[in-house]
Amino acid sequence: MTEISYLAIGPVIALTLGVVVILMVEVSFKPSTSWLAATAGSSLLGAFVLGVLQWAEAAEDPVIRFRGMLALDPFAAFGAVVLTVLGAVALLVAWPLVLQQGRRAAEFVALVLLSLTGMILMAAAAHFIMLFLALEVASISLYVLAGFSRETAEAGEASVKYFLLGSFASAIFLYGVALSYAATGSLSLYGTAAFLSENLLLDSAALLAGIGLLIVGLAFKVSAAPFHMWAPDVYQGAASGVSGFMTAGAKIAGFAALARIAVTSYAPYISDWAPAVGVIAAISIVVGTLLAIAQSDIKRMLAYSSVAHAGFILTGLVAGLDGVPFIWFYVVTYAFQVLGAFAVVSVVSGPAGTRSPLTDYAGLAQRAPALAGSLALLMLSMAGIPLTAGFLSKLYVFREAVDAGYLWLVLIGAVASVAGLFFYLRVIVLMYMNPQGEQTAGAAGSPGVSDSLRIALTGVAVVTLAFGIVPGPLLDVVTTALPL
Amino acid sequence: MVDYIWIIIALPLTGAVFLHFFGTRMGEPAAGAVASATIGLSFLYALAAAADFFTGSGEAEAVHLFDWIPALGANAQLLWDPLSAVMTLTVTGVGTLIHVYSIGYMHGDPRYGRFFTNLNFFAASMLILVLADNFGLLFVGWELVGLSSYMLISFWFTRPSAAAAGKKAFIVNRVGDVGFLVGLMLILANFNTLTYGAVLENPARFVTAGTATAITLLLLLGAVGKSAQIPLFFWLPDAMEGPTPVSALIHAATMVTAGVYMVARTASLFELSSFSAGTVATIGAFTALFAATIALTQRDIKRVLAYSTISQLGYMFLAVGSGAYIAGIFHLVTHAFFKALLFLGSGSVIHALNDEQDMAKMGGLRKVMPVTHATMVVGWLAIIGIPPLAGFWSKDEILAIAFGEGGWFTFLWVIGLITALLTAVYMTRWMYLTFWGESRWEDGVEPHESPPIMTVPLIGLAVGGAFFGLLNTPFRGPLRPAFEHFLEPSFEGVIAMAHIPSGATPWNLATISVVAAALGALFAYRRYRGARAYEIPPFASKRTGVWRWVGAGYYVDDIIGNLLVLPGKLVAAWTAFVFDNEVIDGSVRAVGGGVRRIGGWLRPLQTGFVRSYAAVTFAGVVGLLVWFVARGVG
Repeated sequence: MTEISYLAIGPVIALTLGVVVILMVEVSFKPSTSWLAATAGSSLLGAFVLGVLQWAEAAEDPVIRFRGMLALDPFAAFGAVVLTVLGAVALLVAWPLVLQQGRRAAEFVALVLLSLTGMILMAAAAHFIMLFLALEVASISLYVLAGFSRETAEAGEASVKYFLLGSFASAIFLYGVALSYAATGSLSLYGTAAFLSENLLLDSAALLAGIGLLIVGLAFKVSAAPFHMWAPDVYQGAASGVSGFMTAGAKIAGFAALARIAVTSYAPYISDWAPAVGVIAAISIVVGTLLAIAQSDIKRMLAYSSVAHAGFILTGLVAGLDGVPFIWFYVVTYAFQVLGAFAVVSVVSGPAGTRSPLTDYAGLAQRAPALAGSLALLMLSMAGIPLTAGFLSKLYVFREAVDAGYLWLVLIGAVASVAGLFFYLRVIVLMYMNPQGEQTAGAAGSPGVSDSLRIALTGVAVVTLAFGIVPGPLLDVVTTALPL
Repeated sequence: MVDYIWIIIALPLTGAVFLHFFGTRMGEPAAGAVASATIGLSFLYALAAAADFFTGSGEAEAVHLFDWIPALGANAQLLWDPLSAVMTLTVTGVGTLIHVYSIGYMHGDPRYGRFFTNLNFFAASMLILVLADNFGLLFVGWELVGLSSYMLISFWFTRPSAAAAGKKAFIVNRVGDVGFLVGLMLILANFNTLTYGAVLENPARFVTAGTATAITLLLLLGAVGKSAQIPLFFWLPDAMEGPTPVSALIHAATMVTAGVYMVARTASLFELSSFSAGTVATIGAFTALFAATIALTQRDIKRVLAYSTISQLGYMFLAVGSGAYIAGIFHLVTHAFFKALLFLGSGSVIHALNDEQDMAKMGGLRKVMPVTHATMVVGWLAIIGIPPLAGFWSKDEILAIAFGEGGWFTFLWVIGLITALLTAVYMTRWMYLTFWGESRWEDGVEPHESPPIMTVPLIGLAVGGAFFGLLNTPFRGPLRPAFEHFLEPSFEGVIAMAHIPSGATPWNLATISVVAAALGALFAYRRYRGARAYEIPPFASKRTGVWRWVGAGYYVDDIIGNLLVLPGKLVAAWTAFVFDNEVIDGSVRAVGGGVRRIGGWLRPLQTGFVRSYAAVTFAGVVGLLVWFVARGVG
């Protein structure tokens, strides 16, 4: 009767419509890029508005729709809103790259929107099969995006690596689903939860193995160590204009899915999975920080730093449901920071560039003060300096972890944060204190910044500062954005 | 009206942000006009918001803006009560006049726009300080004014002395801030919140007299640093390296009074500890005397005023330490008028003499600078305490209350009286050497009166300096204790502690201090009447014996330099060249080497081959499965 809810899939419909229109019109009419921008923009705007409507509706009365497939709850609505905003900012950042694509521009935009539909569904999925489908929709689009600049060998390599390892992770994820089904007889997230709270398993080995494999599958998507090996190669190989979206989108959607599964389906087994998550978090923090120190290319540095950040976010997950608001806070603010950082990279090394050695950044403050200023702010925030959102995010997840009894993890995180200062501040030192060294051809002179990118960067910088000083509004929202 | 009180802060803040980006492009005089307009509008808004207090129908109100650190009770919340209204009106009122004056004074400076950016930023910071409704926000303002003071003292940073003076002010203030911060932690530990209301309303519920003593002494350390009292006074004379409007606004009228304001704000805590209150009064009285003696001997036109400021701040400390909070704030306001006036006047003189600050090369300026001279006469009479000018009423009230307290405070009253006499001596000397007597200008210097953009603010301040005191006279009359009535609600419960003498005593005391002032002025008149070129007797030319000692500011700078700074520098050098090189760098190298080694172990894994990546992933899977299956089976 009321199992069908068009509102529950509203944002997805808006985005899919956009994709269909873009592809159909592109084939027959060869429209201009401004038409493309208008279509993508209105489709994102529609999705955003529907996401807000979802929020209004779900805050009153969270429900499961489509026979247990999709949740219409604040958690899903918040994910949809954040992801559409992220998609819009990502397109602004990537627009110079889109303009370079010529005939393939429409495909690029369509792929970004398609992967967004997958990510939004990942945050809303209430059923393992739905989740798997959403994961694949998001991932396959990302595989293609990674290799979109097919002229460069690195891009092709990145795409193939991402695809092969991604399929490996998908297989592991599916196997985890199978084991969980074998133990509980349910493929629904909430059915599993109901079964586990009503029945005591005599032998929980199969279930726990399933949980472990599910965690691996999603930890791969958010590039937590030791499932992160693909990240540096892929983020470096992909065009700079799109690496940021790949990092940020995968993080938001991956953590949304992971958090929902962990705190709903397997909540009764938190004492079993939380220590494992804690260990993955610790390994990610340590490995990400150590290897980031050793990098000489800023894209690889950002990739390893994103591994460390995945660890910090997982630190919030050990607290279970209490940690969910702060996972949201962290992942949302971080997603925009990493998007902004890659945006700067896409200017300095060119939107289609793959390599971005740190030496390109020497003396950037003199050539492009605004660009250097925003990158410096983002580096400070990622390093966790007070008055930025990055500081508060770390503070909140650490507090939750301490309350949950994971002091050892917080100590590791705190020490790694100090060590992390080294590679974040190195970028700032290079930009501000080093004279302009010998320049590679691409980096010499004042880099041209497109208007779209300027808008995106300003927005990211303002948000990073604003939520660092006045976190209240965002905190109010994320504490409501809980799964059903 | 009160609900939007944040506009008072937002206006100069917006001005600062706007001028930061466009100030240089706008140039003269537009940047100055924008800055003056923002602070002027703040003043008008504050005046309108305070209207209810004037009629007596106003209630103290806390305005919540947004949550900042709710757990500590430190939110962006402003308090609008008579005390913060008085402070706000002083800061914005005097600030507006000084902003306008600066339009003329900074004429031709290459960093004209940046000056007004900083000036507006200071005003916003100071307003945060006085409007805060909790110690957290107070501390934010406290640090921001310190920062803007630093930026403005070393505004001409290409001069090494200016850069050094800025650094000195900043570092000395840090010493006080440490005490302040520890005091705030103690407050948090005992009261569990930093909100004024919860802490200051009947604090005896939460703390014993001993704890209150500890808290207040720590707060006092912060106040002493900010308000340049013994032992942390020696940064203020050097701070005169900043442009003169900065000296007038920050280092005379507003920022340096923050310590007095803070003690007055936390009056209920100080009331719990007679020891702390006595310490405040004693520090104030001794600083007043000490700084006044140094002021006798200075040749630099601004340094005399700097020591005079320290001395007058001492009076305010004496007042708030004697429980005379309203008298202290009253003197704060009158002093803001006449000291800003004197500073701006000296700026006008410096301007006229092509940046000459040595009083030995001045004299006889009365004829060429009539307006400046006339306003300076008002300032002079106000500061030495001749009725009916402002300084008389406020200073006399402080002395009367100290006298009324009796005991140890009678001794402090004597010190205050001697200081009043010395004040008359050094200020009369100042007038003689600058405006009266023969001219001793250097060849080729042609002094001229300053333009109206500078003289009009002088006149404005002179009017305030002349008449503001009438708002709080102890005699019968329509205005009798208007100021006291205005402020009383802010000091409910503590005000009864002040011992205000009655009967004939105030008359006698007033007569005594006027006689002291007259004696001092007479002495200086006889001594400096015939001051000739390059002969500034007696305190500066014949630097012998005790005067040599006083002239060098009691060698406090040298003592501090040798006792604290030198060992500090040695420790710093040891830290930098031995500890840092060996221990820190050594451990960093060790860690770095370790990281590189670990990286060396990890690097073979990052081969770029998919198969090895898959193998690492697989290893992770196996590890996890072992854990989970072991948990499940076991």
